[in-house]
Amino acid sequence: MQPLPPRWLDKLANRICAPHLREELLGDLYERYALRHHRVGARKANWFFLREVTALLRPSIMKRKPSPYASPSALNSEMLRNYFKIGSRVLLKNSRYSLIHLTGLSIGLWTCMMVATVVIDSLSYDKQWSRKDDIYRIVTVNKMGKDLSERNSSSPMGLAPELQKNYAEVESWSTLSSSELHFKIRPEDGDGINTNLLSADTAVSRLLDLKLLTGSLKHSTQKHWNLLVTRSYATRIFPGQDPVGKIIYDIPTFSAEPTPYEITGLIDDLPYNSHLRADAIRLEAPKPEPLLNNGVMSFGRNYILLKRGTDVGEFTKRVNAWYARFTKNNNREQFEFQPLKEVYLHSDFAEGQSVKASIRTIYIFAGVALLLLFIACVNFVNLSTAKAFARVKEAGVRKILSGSRTQLVMQLLTETLLLFGISIGIAVFAYCLTLRPVEDFLGHRLVVTFTSNILMAGGALLMFFLTALLTGLYPAWVISGFKPANTLRGIFTASLGQTGLRKTLVVAQFSISIIVLLATIGVWQQFDLMKNKELGYDKNNLIGIEQISWNGKGDAFKNELQRIPGVVRSSLAMWMPTEGGGYMQREVPDPAHAGRRLRVWYVAGDVDLPTTLGLKLVKGRMFSNRFADALDADSLQKEGFEKFEKAQINQNSLMTASAAKMLGIKQLDVQTQNAHSVPVGIVGDFHNESLYEPMKPTFILAEKSPEYAGMLIRIQPGTEMQVAVGVRKLWKQFFPEKLLQINNIEEQITKQYEAESKLHELFLFFSGLTMFLSALGIFGLVVQAAEQRAKEVGIRKVLGASVAGIVGLISKDFVKLVVIAIVVASPLAWYALQKWLESYPYRTTIDWWVFVATGFAALVVTIGTVSFQAIRAATADPVRSLRNE
Amino acid sequence: MRRSDLGEFEEIVLLAVAALAPGAYSVSIAEELEKETGQTMSTGAVHAALQRLEQKGYLTSHLGEATQERGGRRKRLFTVTAYGGKILHEARTVRNSLWNRITPAELSKMGLDFSNS
Repeated sequence: MQPLPPRWLDKLANRICAPHLREELLGDLYERYALRHHRVGARKANWFFLREVTALLRPSIMKRKPSPYASPSALNSEMLRNYFKIGSRVLLKNSRYSLIHLTGLSIGLWTCMMVATVVIDSLSYDKQWSRKDDIYRIVTVNKMGKDLSERNSSSPMGLAPELQKNYAEVESWSTLSSSELHFKIRPEDGDGINTNLLSADTAVSRLLDLKLLTGSLKHSTQKHWNLLVTRSYATRIFPGQDPVGKIIYDIPTFSAEPTPYEITGLIDDLPYNSHLRADAIRLEAPKPEPLLNNGVMSFGRNYILLKRGTDVGEFTKRVNAWYARFTKNNNREQFEFQPLKEVYLHSDFAEGQSVKASIRTIYIFAGVALLLLFIACVNFVNLSTAKAFARVKEAGVRKILSGSRTQLVMQLLTETLLLFGISIGIAVFAYCLTLRPVEDFLGHRLVVTFTSNILMAGGALLMFFLTALLTGLYPAWVISGFKPANTLRGIFTASLGQTGLRKTLVVAQFSISIIVLLATIGVWQQFDLMKNKELGYDKNNLIGIEQISWNGKGDAFKNELQRIPGVVRSSLAMWMPTEGGGYMQREVPDPAHAGRRLRVWYVAGDVDLPTTLGLKLVKGRMFSNRFADALDADSLQKEGFEKFEKAQINQNSLMTASAAKMLGIKQLDVQTQNAHSVPVGIVGDFHNESLYEPMKPTFILAEKSPEYAGMLIRIQPGTEMQVAVGVRKLWKQFFPEKLLQINNIEEQITKQYEAESKLHELFLFFSGLTMFLSALGIFGLVVQAAEQRAKEVGIRKVLGASVAGIVGLISKDFVKLVVIAIVVASPLAWYALQKWLESYPYRTTIDWWVFVATGFAALVVTIGTVSFQAIRAATADPVRSLRNE
Repeated sequence: MRRSDLGEFEEIVLLAVAALAPGAYSVSIAEELEKETGQTMSTGAVHAALQRLEQKGYLTSHLGEATQERGGRRKRLFTVTAYGGKILHEARTVRNSLWNRITPAELSKMGLDFSNS
């Protein structure tokens, strides 16, 4: 018996070796194998054979002999021209399919570009500062108990200077805060020029790159506030003039008189894609506060600059260890150093930071956009492979006329690239047109876009080219792979076996659209819940005047206000809905959980505040002028801290039902330690904070005509315009030079949930698109199926099949796929929604009917799309389809 | 004289073809070289060298008979051409003349004293 090498190695050798060398070389291998087998046995011989086979891997052996009947190279210019000519003819001939392809791809590409822009723009924030890697914002972490902590973007004012003193790593620090001011440059600008102001000390120039054009970066004048203005702002307020040295006045809110600002420097524009976006910088001399351990601290947004290459993790540890020793308070307060680059996207906790975005939303949308592109590409692949049967004859003829497979693939790829090229053109056009509306929708400018950044545009084109190649390669491979003899004889059932793949792709497509649709409903329900939830007070027919200093005229203004028709009640309030949880907060030990601490909010206003808000009394009594409920806090504060504190402890208060429960206060009219006051009544719970926060114990205090306060006005339904006019007139009499900001409280409350509202709108948009694209894909498949089965339908009709039967026959396959998609998508969507809702303390429940309704909607869309074409096929005259050919 | 296009391995293979004539083909050459050098020699390497030598015109080849252990495949037998012989000869001349120029003293320093053997 002749010893034989392992079969697979033999096959491999056959593969590697060029056909014209096989005779001699493989013979040689066999002969040596036999020799070795004889000499050293089967095992070693096999081993040697493996080595022999690997030794065949050399170009001289692997290189195939060129055919003597060479076809022109697949890439020469004549062929390229030919590809284009044939490709464009094919596209024009099948204009219906081309249109489906174009629509799908353009939408997919456009969405991807748009979302990519938003994502890249968000990621570009604060990346342009030269010391971006070394600047950190100090974040205070307040431990409220085990595993319970709150983060705050401000930190004790004394901390940063103390750190600089103690640690060599700290190069510099600065306190930066953003606010809005209205400057009145000319008498005719009524409400002034809205200015984004960054308040900072002079050390800011060491942290951020401020490019001084004229003037100085120092705190140069002691007389007024010093103001650095940016170039574009300067041209807005003083066109064509040198602004340095000019003095401008703001419209006062908290002060009695307009405050003068002297422009001491002109700087280049600050980058727009920074959370420190500003038109002007108010400079102060740095005034380091001492860090005291007596519980009284002022807080601010502090940024520190560390030496290059500092290990922040280790630095944080040392700082916290030192601080714990310094305060001896058992790590209740700790600090984190948040990198400047992360401030924009990772600041969910930072109240009062207006320029921020949520990384979660960014992720969600990047994901959805990618899925959308996937759906568009799947459409393309599906329809192309489904159309394969129409092309295989062409491919067969080409092959017989000595066309190589490479040429065929190139031909089909050219068609794909043509389609993608046109789609990219349409998508870019749409992109340029929609950039502005998208910016309006987002509420901020997009700095880094494909039209502004040539590098990004190049990258995008490259990505699209690769996508086109990947998408086009598979159908081209399938179509070019048929054996010409079979295709011409009409045998391709076996080779068209990729219907399994096509079905899987359809299921994937529909699953995605159903998930997005379910997400849309989920987000809408959550938004609806937050917008319409009973808040415990009446938010309708309530308007508010933003906080100002009343110059002692608060009560007088209120009295006049009451005379305006439509005003029911009004109150000077030191807290207004949507302005955080109260005007003051305390932390008290949690009676229910030892070791934990509770945050308690204090809301204050004059005695009319509870009735103006519309709070419901549960027990005890409301505030009234008959009792000494209101504290004259302003004058007491002037007399001294201790006296004020004593009066405060004995002050009457109202508490919410949950405050009574959580703090364990059973008795009214008694001074209580946890309440820090004397509760005289219990009112129903109300949401003083947004619904992002769980309800916390809250007390209401009354103060006698507070100097710094806003005004809440309860009006009769439908009188809002009339009251606003009255208030404006009154305002002119009382405070001619002050800024009046009137808000509708309900609108303000809804505005808090802008993120959800936007999310919902976007999801609505995306779910529409994904559904549309999926339907488009299925439509293409049905058109193709109807075409392919025209003869079958004809025969069935001749034999007496009904229209309904035929429609059912054609639709059945697709409906089945969508049903599978519903089954796959529902649990996934449910899980994702639960995950998303977890972060909300007040969350909607996703009911079963949502899934039923969504599934039903998907089915309706499918059946609608499918039957549109199926009925056409079923009602066609069978004679025509049967006489064909 | 140009002999830069004859590599060392090629020279050995060429020599082996001459030595094994008329039965020189990949297997016999590889086996022979394995025996002489004591190192395993893959057929592929030998074949590649033979191909190169044939391209350069140092060898000619024809297909021989098929045997059973070759799986019924024929072998390709190689013979050295006159040109190949000339090249071999040239290579040898160069070596010989260089060897001859080494003085006996130098040889003994290298530990290669042939005078007594």
